[in-house]
Amino acid sequence: MEVLASGTGEFKPPNPDEMRAWVHEHKVRKPVDKVLTEQEAVSRFVNDGDYMAFDMNVAARGPVSLFREIIRQRKKDLWVAAKFNWSDVTLLVAGGCVSKVDVGWMETGAIINNALREDRLKFIEWSNGALTYRLLAGALGVSFLPMRWLGGTDVFEKSGAKLVEDPYTGKPVVLVPALNPDVGLIHVHECDVYGNARVYGAGVAPKEIAMASKKLIISTEQIISNEEIRQNPQKTTIPYYLVDAVVVAPFGGYPGSVPGRYIGDFENVFEFAVSQMQGTTDQYLEKYIYSVASHEEMLEKRVGAAKLVKLTQGETVREGYR
Amino acid sequence: MTELTFTDLEQNVYTIAHMIEEDKLYFVQMAGPPLFAVLLAKRTHAPGVGFLVEEGAIAPSPVFPLPPMMLGSARSHYRSVAWEGMNIVDAHASLGYADYGILSAVQVDKFGNFNSTILGKDYDHPERRFGGPGGANEIASCSWATIIMTKLEKRKFVDRVDFISSPGYLDGSPGAREKAGLPANTGPYRIVTERAIFGFDEKTHMMRLEAIAPWITLEEVLDRMDFKPLIAEPLGVMEVPTEEDLSMIRAEIDPGGYTLNRGEWLMVTV
Repeated sequence: MEVLASGTGEFKPPNPDEMRAWVHEHKVRKPVDKVLTEQEAVSRFVNDGDYMAFDMNVAARGPVSLFREIIRQRKKDLWVAAKFNWSDVTLLVAGGCVSKVDVGWMETGAIINNALREDRLKFIEWSNGALTYRLLAGALGVSFLPMRWLGGTDVFEKSGAKLVEDPYTGKPVVLVPALNPDVGLIHVHECDVYGNARVYGAGVAPKEIAMASKKLIISTEQIISNEEIRQNPQKTTIPYYLVDAVVVAPFGGYPGSVPGRYIGDFENVFEFAVSQMQGTTDQYLEKYIYSVASHEEMLEKRVGAAKLVKLTQGETVREGYR
Repeated sequence: MTELTFTDLEQNVYTIAHMIEEDKLYFVQMAGPPLFAVLLAKRTHAPGVGFLVEEGAIAPSPVFPLPPMMLGSARSHYRSVAWEGMNIVDAHASLGYADYGILSAVQVDKFGNFNSTILGKDYDHPERRFGGPGGANEIASCSWATIIMTKLEKRKFVDRVDFISSPGYLDGSPGAREKAGLPANTGPYRIVTERAIFGFDEKTHMMRLEAIAPWITLEEVLDRMDFKPLIAEPLGVMEVPTEEDLSMIRAEIDPGGYTLNRGEWLMVTV
């Protein structure tokens, strides 16, 4: 296959056989109770230097309580996929956890601009769809996939994509390398203790991340029984053997929303944005992360039950999310 | 003579809404004005029009008012016909189901390429870093035709964008998109602004001024551009929204004014 052009962006070389070997050696086939605290899950499954992917729809259904725990444990040198993200990658960068970002789209204020300027952070260009497509390739156990976009742009030049002559049609086509993250984080509406999980609503790429990731942490709004899962198997998004840890995290998407459960806390998002503009993000991190021991303590002491009731009541549309 | 007051975004939403046809499928940037254009068309003349949003909702019926954090919210995705993921809707566009993409852009050039990545010529030391192409690259690559909304300003209409985040006609040469692996016979169709509407010459792929607002002169339009476009003959005159249109936008589509009130307020007599 003739390579017509190659992007110059850095990527981890895809290696489907290495992925297979990892699965063979590390993934637990037996249905066992995988419920861990957020401290245990992050400490065991997120390592310094890991490539980390997460599912999130800008500020909806993100694994944000796990992000805060990653910052609290002062993880370092993560390489993250920012496909369609508001300020969570910024939060992780502010916490000193990230050194590289594969960009689809994300919020880029002073924190990101300063980190790039000071070479504390490196961006590699992709698009939202290119990153989800790379995850799809990773999920299929192959090393690349052809796709019909990205070509001809400066994004292509700064990505790890290639333009090749398609051996079947003879026409040029863009290839993207598979992405198999070291660790994937997905916040779900419900799951059982084994990790059989349900995501409701338009999902961005939860199945692809679950399948492509070497290690997978699920955080969940609610634990349901295995019997309930088996009564409605069509609703299962992620089967148990893909999952390494289950973290019970009601309001785990806070300050973002979880559609059908609660709306986002715009005041908190605004508080972070203002702290970014005023250069006082350290105070935000102290207040919501370092000064509390857990997600539960943050909700209790920093957010409060009254606010949580208000956010729940604010979610006026529940149809389809159960 | 009527005096009207509206924002540039309201004008763009109005213009694009009137381009929307019920028998076409639209691939729409979910946040902000592009979505509002479709929602206005659904209320005025195309109630059944279908649209995809990149996070995977197919033909949603959003509940008003949309919340401040509207992306991916339950209100935005209410009563879709399907909830899928990003790869599925991008695949639908790859297959050729998306007739028109509707997007907004920060900076656009004479071949309809647009930039949402950096400001400044030096990639390694940009003056300002932006969020990236998001889903606009796949929408502009795979839709049969793309409608892009922006504001008519010199720094936004440039000869060559600082960075091509999403493809227009690339270098304008024949078959440039196909040679880059993009689907054949696709590309930008209209660039819509509050003061002028542009198309593209079929052969040279150069941007062509198609129509200007009734309250501005040709010279004033060209003064707001960093390059000189081709000019259609005869040059068309844009329709401006009526009080009735503006009332519908403000009362029903964006009652909080979160999105469309943010633009430049124009006071015109037509």
